[in-house]
Amino acid sequence: MTSHSPEAGQSGKTSAAGTSRLAAPDAAGSSDAQGNGASAVRLRKRAGRTGRAHRSGRGRTFRWTPYLLIAPAVGILLLALAYPIGWQLVTSFKEFGLAQQFGQPAEFNGLDNYIKIVTTGETWMVVVRSVVFCLVNAFLTVAAGTALATLMNAVPKAVRLILQVALLLAWSMPVVAVMTVWNWLFDWNHGTINWLLVQAGAEGYSRHNWLENPLSFYGVATVIIVWMSVPFVAFSMYAALTQVSGEVLEAAQIDGANAWQRFKGIVVPMVRPVLMIVLLLQIIWDLRVFTQIRMLQDRGSFPSETDLLGTYIYREGVGASHFGMAAAMSVFVLLITMVAAWPYVRSLMKEETI
Amino acid sequence: MKKLTGLAALATAAALALSGCGGSDKPDGSSGKDAGDKELTLWLAGNDTNDDLRKYLKDEFSKQNQGWTLKIETIDWGDLVTKLNTSLPDAKNSPDVVEVGNTQSPTFTNVGAFMDITDMYKELGGDDLLQSFVEVGAVDGKNYTLPYYFGSRYMFYRTDVWQEAGVTVPKTLDEFNNAVITITDKNPRGIKDFSGFFLGGSDWRNGVSWVFANGGDLAKKDGDQWVSTLSDPNTVKGMKQLQELQQKASKAPADAKDQSPWLYINDTDEASEENSQTTNTALAAATIMAPGWAHWSIGDPTIGADGQPARNDGGVIIREWNPAKFGVFVLPGNDGKPAPVFAGGSNIGISAKSQHPEQAKSLMKIIFSEEYQKMLGGAGLGPANSQYVSSLGDDEFAKALVDSALNSKLTPAAPGWAKVEAAGLLDEFFGKVAQGGDVAKLAKEFDDKITPVLNNG
Amino acid sequence: MLRIWRRIGRLAASLLALALAVIWVFPVYWMVNSSFLPNTKLSAATPAFLPFGGSLTNFKLVFTHGNFGAALKMSLIITGITVVFTLLFAFLAALAISRYKFKGRRSFVLAVLFIQMLPAEGLFLAQYTMIRDMGLMNTGLLNTVIGVSLIYIAAVVPFTVWMLRGFVAGIPADLEEAAMVDGLSRTKAFFRITFPLLAPGLVASGVYAFLQAWNEFTVALVLLNQENKTLPLWLRSFVQQSSQHEIDWGQVMAASTLVAVPVIIFFLFVQGRMTSGLVAGAVKG
Repeated sequence: MTSHSPEAGQSGKTSAAGTSRLAAPDAAGSSDAQGNGASAVRLRKRAGRTGRAHRSGRGRTFRWTPYLLIAPAVGILLLALAYPIGWQLVTSFKEFGLAQQFGQPAEFNGLDNYIKIVTTGETWMVVVRSVVFCLVNAFLTVAAGTALATLMNAVPKAVRLILQVALLLAWSMPVVAVMTVWNWLFDWNHGTINWLLVQAGAEGYSRHNWLENPLSFYGVATVIIVWMSVPFVAFSMYAALTQVSGEVLEAAQIDGANAWQRFKGIVVPMVRPVLMIVLLLQIIWDLRVFTQIRMLQDRGSFPSETDLLGTYIYREGVGASHFGMAAAMSVFVLLITMVAAWPYVRSLMKEETI
Repeated sequence: MKKLTGLAALATAAALALSGCGGSDKPDGSSGKDAGDKELTLWLAGNDTNDDLRKYLKDEFSKQNQGWTLKIETIDWGDLVTKLNTSLPDAKNSPDVVEVGNTQSPTFTNVGAFMDITDMYKELGGDDLLQSFVEVGAVDGKNYTLPYYFGSRYMFYRTDVWQEAGVTVPKTLDEFNNAVITITDKNPRGIKDFSGFFLGGSDWRNGVSWVFANGGDLAKKDGDQWVSTLSDPNTVKGMKQLQELQQKASKAPADAKDQSPWLYINDTDEASEENSQTTNTALAAATIMAPGWAHWSIGDPTIGADGQPARNDGGVIIREWNPAKFGVFVLPGNDGKPAPVFAGGSNIGISAKSQHPEQAKSLMKIIFSEEYQKMLGGAGLGPANSQYVSSLGDDEFAKALVDSALNSKLTPAAPGWAKVEAAGLLDEFFGKVAQGGDVAKLAKEFDDKITPVLNNG
Repeated sequence: MLRIWRRIGRLAASLLALALAVIWVFPVYWMVNSSFLPNTKLSAATPAFLPFGGSLTNFKLVFTHGNFGAALKMSLIITGITVVFTLLFAFLAALAISRYKFKGRRSFVLAVLFIQMLPAEGLFLAQYTMIRDMGLMNTGLLNTVIGVSLIYIAAVVPFTVWMLRGFVAGIPADLEEAAMVDGLSRTKAFFRITFPLLAPGLVASGVYAFLQAWNEFTVALVLLNQENKTLPLWLRSFVQQSSQHEIDWGQVMAASTLVAVPVIIFFLFVQGRMTSGLVAGAVKG
């Protein structure tokens, strides 16, 4: 995704120290970058020290401590995921359908499933659609979330609180409820959105069917997903923005930096790590979006025109009972995501934070 | 770490305590199947089997099997395949007796999910059972699932609107097609986007009647291979007729499936308003095609004691059929006889992994007994055994149900049929036709897609 | 002059913020509003924007319909267990990777990241087999709860480790060391100094875990049977039953509202810590 200049821990200190560094010290990503956005920026101030902390060899205390600490997490991941993931890997090399699920021996068919996947035109269409959809949604979500966060920072407390409560309420709505409400708002027959449009003079929207045209379908899906995801981004970015010290900004102003320079030189570098982590998470999540698409498809559209990776796997697996193919497809998606995320991960590794 | 662990322990204890108090309705968490209480599990799909029928099954089963109880679980249609995929092959957790949709039956019987009950076939009704359903439950001459109930499709229409448009009940398919187009054109009540005949564009289960009526079919067995026959000239002819209706008589979206078309034929939901204005009329169609049981959802709402629409136990508004407004007829074919329709309904069988085959068979006998079959008929579901069809009654619904069912067809018994449905291929084919696409071209395109799936078991 | 402009700008920003708040809250409002209205009003040509003439009828009907109480209890138990154990496990792991350097650390961090990228839609067959073979299926309520929670915890832990890691790393080890110099034991120093600073991080991660477990559908469908449905299963079966006849939007919305209410209560409960905590905690960090 992005490759930071690897400046490791020290950058934090310098920028915290004040205005001396207006040139983007973007390596601030270091240890904080992977954390939750909220906390991340604060880490900039500490990065140097924490960095030192684990380099100074805590090992002297207990050599086994870190292993004991990760043991429960590793244990539960192994317990709950080792078998399903292993099964999936093995099954992806098998001819495994309903008959095999009902007890017939499943035969290995080598790379057949994978070959079928990469040679099926539809797969690549779904991949392209999913990637485009995911990028559009992730960037829109992050942009909208950042805009809302900036706005929160600029308004009086009372207004901010109202906005925050509204976002929290939206965030707290269960997915099934969200989809039911939105499906209804966009319903072709009794939908409120059509009604509003007609009231506004757009007569053509009486009984307009939003889901039939694939582009329009994705438009609806985007509205819903952005609406659902923005609260998380907005709160994280707001946390990041509040990290930007007023004193520092004032000092910069006294030094003669104009608004744009202050924004570019101080605000952007401060929030950048949070922005990057939030974007990475959104991309991972939006690439595997499933429930929203599935529940929209239940209401309308032709699935073959609107399938994304999640629903495509589901249709192949549950619908057509081609479990072997579905498994291979899942592995394929995992590989795609890993490849897409690799530049970002590598930049993190260069910074010696992972 | 002590404190932290303590905290977690506390929370866990709280959670468990919470689950503990929940355990009271089930004396102790471990009262499983092996604990001695003998229980047979029946999975019913959806809510078509009403509470009276369920109660009868439970009571009768306990009576005939000392010390046994019947547990009935309802699985929603939408989740049935997922649940069957996981639970049916699992000896430990398999339900004993299972209802499946008749189109899903071949897929599961072909992989050996059901027990061979050929030896019971005669006892359960034999050749009196609805044969088309028996066929989808049989593999190589052996019976695995048998019909549970059938439904059929016929037309519900607004007698008043038809009259206002000056058309009469049709005698042939052409007459029908012309009549509904005329109604749409005249739109006697000036309702916006009014459909003479409301048919969802992707609603292939109803639309396929036009294919059948013209001698076409969806697929046929050629040697030992199944072939999709959408390009067959008769199929194409039927689809072209349907396309004309979809474009000229129906205002339903091209991607609409067969969900609740009755919503569009009812007059109004406004019964509870004091000044019952008709501005909020829901009426949007003069004719719909629907399974027979839809008639419970058609009519004027009845008013309860509180002035609100009366509801049944399930919270559904009770509607009263109003003969001044509503009527039914069977879709006529080209020859004036009923056009073949797609039969609805389901099959029932014993899981091959059932641990209690004896009791499961006993339950099957109860289900196919004269008394239960008649109860099914009384509930408006077509009984599997044709001897008891008269239990449906002799009102217009029963007549239409029986008449249309006589000429009903099922989906092809191809091993991969359920997958064709799951992949939504027919929904899409019909929908694309409804959008106005070139029928012959689309037929070719979907034949190529469907044929390989048909044979892939 | 400049001040006036600033004021106008501030006012405009406030108005914009309020408008956006309305947009974001509208679907929530719509759900709650509709849940009070009879279907007759809801299927009318003109939407009812206010709950005039509303009643609690829908809620009463919904309550009598399915076994809402049992589903609520099931969801609360499973979600509760998931949140507690996820936080505990993820916190310990976050501590390890942000405070210690050890062999295998990088692999662990990478594994945790990549696990999140695995599509979950194809896993349910294997998950079913696994839970069954562990003897956690249909062998009593307790085992069932453990089985589902196990899968949920494993699904949420990876993200939570990442999230908490940032928070832990943000707390200066110096503070703790200083306290130790003052004579506190390492453990005591940790709980007195570090733990309180972590609260916002734990709350934020807890919210995430809560939402995931509360909303999960497929695993619950496959692993649970009818007596121990969770709320999403209950809601979906409610919607499906309703649409078999005429979809009663009022009732469906009442049911949706009921599913949302516990989450809203939970959110309001932690809200103080969420917004201010997430933020203020970070500032003070």
